Amino acid sequence: MEEVQKIRTACRSCHGGCGVIAHVKDGRLLKVEPDPDSPISEGTLCSKALAIKQLVYHPKRITSPLKKVDGKWAKVSWDEALDTITEKFKRIIEESGPEAICIGQGTGRDYESFLYRFANLLGTPNVITAGHMCYVSRIGACLVTCGNLPVCDYDGEPALVMVWGNNAPWTNPDEYKGVKLLKTLQKGAKLITVDPRRVYLAERADIHLQLRPGTDAALALGMLHVILEERLYDEEFVSSYVHGWEEFRARVAQWPLDKVEAITWIPREKIVSAARLYAKTKPACIQWGVPIEQTLNCTDSNRLLVALMAVTGNLDVKGGNVFFVPPPVRTVTEVALHKALPKEKKEKMLGADENKLAARVALVSPKHVWDAILKGKPYKVRGMLLCGTNPVVTRANSREVYEALSQVEFLATIDFFLTPTAELGHVFLPAATWIEQDYVGDFWKRHGYVVARRKCITVGECKQDHEIFMLLGKRMGQTQWWNTMEEALDYMLEPSGLKWSDFKEMGYLKGKMEYQKYLTKGFSTPTGKVELYCTTFEKWGYDPLPTYREIPESPYSTPELMDKYPYILTTGQRIPVFFHSANRQIPWLREIRPEPICEIHPDTASRHGIKNGDWVWISSPRGRIKQRAKVTDIVDPRVIAAEHGWWYPEMEAPGYGFDVSNVNILTDNDPAHYDKPMGATNLRVLICNIEKCEEGD
Amino acid sequence: MILGLRIREGDCVGCHACEVACKQEHDLPPGADRIRILERTPRFEPIYCRHCFRPPCLESCPTGAIKREKGIVFLDKEKCIGCKACMEACPFGAMGFDAEKGVAEKCDLCFQRTEKGERPACVSVCPARCMEFGDLKRFFSRSFP
Repeated sequence: MEEVQKIRTACRSCHGGCGVIAHVKDGRLLKVEPDPDSPISEGTLCSKALAIKQLVYHPKRITSPLKKVDGKWAKVSWDEALDTITEKFKRIIEESGPEAICIGQGTGRDYESFLYRFANLLGTPNVITAGHMCYVSRIGACLVTCGNLPVCDYDGEPALVMVWGNNAPWTNPDEYKGVKLLKTLQKGAKLITVDPRRVYLAERADIHLQLRPGTDAALALGMLHVILEERLYDEEFVSSYVHGWEEFRARVAQWPLDKVEAITWIPREKIVSAARLYAKTKPACIQWGVPIEQTLNCTDSNRLLVALMAVTGNLDVKGGNVFFVPPPVRTVTEVALHKALPKEKKEKMLGADENKLAARVALVSPKHVWDAILKGKPYKVRGMLLCGTNPVVTRANSREVYEALSQVEFLATIDFFLTPTAELGHVFLPAATWIEQDYVGDFWKRHGYVVARRKCITVGECKQDHEIFMLLGKRMGQTQWWNTMEEALDYMLEPSGLKWSDFKEMGYLKGKMEYQKYLTKGFSTPTGKVELYCTTFEKWGYDPLPTYREIPESPYSTPELMDKYPYILTTGQRIPVFFHSANRQIPWLREIRPEPICEIHPDTASRHGIKNGDWVWISSPRGRIKQRAKVTDIVDPRVIAAEHGWWYPEMEAPGYGFDVSNVNILTDNDPAHYDKPMGATNLRVLICNIEKCEEGD
Repeated sequence: MILGLRIREGDCVGCHACEVACKQEHDLPPGADRIRILERTPRFEPIYCRHCFRPPCLESCPTGAIKREKGIVFLDKEKCIGCKACMEACPFGAMGFDAEKGVAEKCDLCFQRTEKGERPACVSVCPARCMEFGDLKRFFSRSFP
């Protein structure tokens, strides 16, 4: 028996990045502990990382490839599984072209560049991710506005943080894990929170803005109205570095506070106080979350928050929202080989004419793919390969997703477990978890670091996702792959002069930070300035100025439906032990949240005879689901807040109860209600009714 | 010296990391809790052993399974008969129960870690840094003799 080995690695239970010390003995994982030297997690860890042992050794984990034979799953060899996919894909390409194959992933994970490399070399422009309404939409909006993604600079010690739609201690922020935010607050920074729920952070805030869900863009316009009218903006920055100031001013002038108050439900005095506090406290940063992207105002909400950062002079200054300098490693774009996709194939991208910003960032809003499968328009999608994603549960309008994935001619998935999505497939490839892989982690994120993720153990025949794409690519005849994963990692690290064998011992690499890069280089936009008037959008035929559009289903846009659906439903509040649809089968995590919870105000609950803990039917124009009521005054009496990502691994295959409590049974994916540039769906806000479940329901 | 935990409740963000860290460290089945965080939305209430100066759990135990050693209130599972008297006696609701083994479950302040100079598992992971381990007399000097 060998001694316990302690191996430094990096988590990826969410988007990843936190530093972990894995304790391994005789090839078996004993436990994980926080890495005190990690610059990301600073010696802390979350419940998801701490429960990794139960994921790794879960009795229901699939650890060898499966193939469906006569409607039943059968164990097969890797060769047979990969050959099945290869043969099918080759036939589809021959008969219908590579665009008839759609490659997909779920939440942001660092196999993205390998997945794209595979898709680009395959010649298909059709890649679906969560990016049309999560993070990539923020990056896209920032690229056309200020050239890069501005991120909170906690190490620069902001004097104020405005947390906008982000319950950071409970969620999985892409750049930070809430640790640095909490430390900043403990040091005495002021706090403004913008959230329809009065969560923990809101309780601690100097000002909490409890807005009507989905009206973030209107609130930002109102705050800008105050800042412009009271001349609280940074005149020097604005005159030198903003494009379209006069046009932008005129647009903001159309949003007086009485109008904003009526839309957002926030008293005007509070909007004024928050605008003044944010504009006058320097430096200030905005910790922005994903809810602002999950409505039809996706792109404009992002553009307006950039406008707030820019006009107050908080862009790329110490303690503001900064453009972190990545360490010298290859970029995602280089590894993904986006340039390898021929122009004529790019033009075939589904929905590219409609969602031009999505096309620019190389992704398809998934509704286009479901239409292509179900209606064959503009052409039929016949084959799919989905990695680390469960769209049956996590994409808008689940029933349509289920229908589309049931009907697609061929579906292969890469995952840890058979999920409601994987069950619809024909081949299942078992993925290695983060503790079973070597990788240059986090290099897709814009926080200035890469981290060394090291293989600590191996489990069954599982292979790391990156390697699966490499093996499949080679079988498809793609030549631009490496011989081994180590060669791939050496290639990624090459500009730094490091080899994987050096880097894995170092733990992480940080880019050399430099503030106010615009002083010498300007901003990476067509005009070199922050484009509050967006010339790219002008060229594409979108409104060059940001605005607020009323939510498609609301008391104001659909008053005729309010009798039947009198409440606003907001969905997707985070649960710290889960990550979207993941972890429902992990005992240590599931015991903390055994059932889905919807929050209902006491007045509303009593009107319906609902008590704390009752099962409640929540219905929308698309269907109904049930969740447990939590009666709490942290939500407005007009608002119901429901959790997302729920399915029941303990229920019967193949559906595993995907339609019982899954909030996306209720959500809408009608293209008429999209955010046009990105194709973002209104996941965060719709209308609903509630009713107490009766016994036997 | 009386060792124990101090949790600044107002700073607890309710992330539940301490609970899972404890489960992992002691390899406990679901339900056998040594620490729990109750969600009193929007605030949180940690339920944890105070290693009391005069521990009601110890006083109530009919078999002498609960003892204080080196400043820590311990449960000797070999002697526990699963009568749950300690659970009823504890004013903080901090005693757990392992239904599989039919015995009580109790915080031992991770003595195997602290003997080596490490912090208890729960304290070591807390992202809100609201937990401390040390001499209770130092934490609460006024309320202890």
